[in-house]
Amino acid sequence: MYYLNIGDSPINVDALYQKLKDPQYGGIVTFVGTVRQWTGDIETKYIDYSAYHPMAEKQLEKLAAPIEAKGARVVIAHRTGHLELTDEAVFVGVAAAHRGDAFRWCEYLIDTLKQEVPIWKKETDTDAVRWGD
Amino acid sequence: MQIQVKLFAMLQEALGETVTVEVPATPSAEEIKGAVSQIAPNLKQMIQTSRLAVNQEFTTNAPIQLQSTDEVALIPPVSGG
Repeated sequence: MYYLNIGDSPINVDALYQKLKDPQYGGIVTFVGTVRQWTGDIETKYIDYSAYHPMAEKQLEKLAAPIEAKGARVVIAHRTGHLELTDEAVFVGVAAAHRGDAFRWCEYLIDTLKQEVPIWKKETDTDAVRWGD
Repeated sequence: MQIQVKLFAMLQEALGETVTVEVPATPSAEEIKGAVSQIAPNLKQMIQTSRLAVNQEFTTNAPIQLQSTDEVALIPPVSGG
């Protein structure tokens, strides 16, 4: 069964990874998104994330359920609140029988999360405050 | 009919958590966005690029059978991840 969480607590990568381990799976792919300092010439100081609860959780369920129905396991966590440089903002993990599916579904999940889940970042850069990418 | 529209991100920062607008019965998403734009013409572009959600589901372009208890929200372009 998938595990999905959106909240202010720091993302515990090790604990989330442990949720993916299971004898039926032979491939685990994880993606971790972190707060980056430089985007071209723009220097980021910190990022504040906010979400529309519980729509964001519902959207995650819609992403995870079809992949779980194919026999894989999905673990997604997104942090909200105040994040400093290098903090983990998002964790997406897929465990599947074989690596091909795990790679493909992990990429699909993070790409789709970025389009369909109502979470917003407010980036405080050295020169300005910016919403979004 | 009068409805409350929930706002998020930069729209919430500019206008507060909700705005109350007057819309036709069975409005389209465009009509609801237009009504919010009238309150904040300076944010029209952001409002137009936002998606509408009713009861926490993204809507299509079809007319919306709104009930007074429905939760209506404007979803600015998302930027999680």
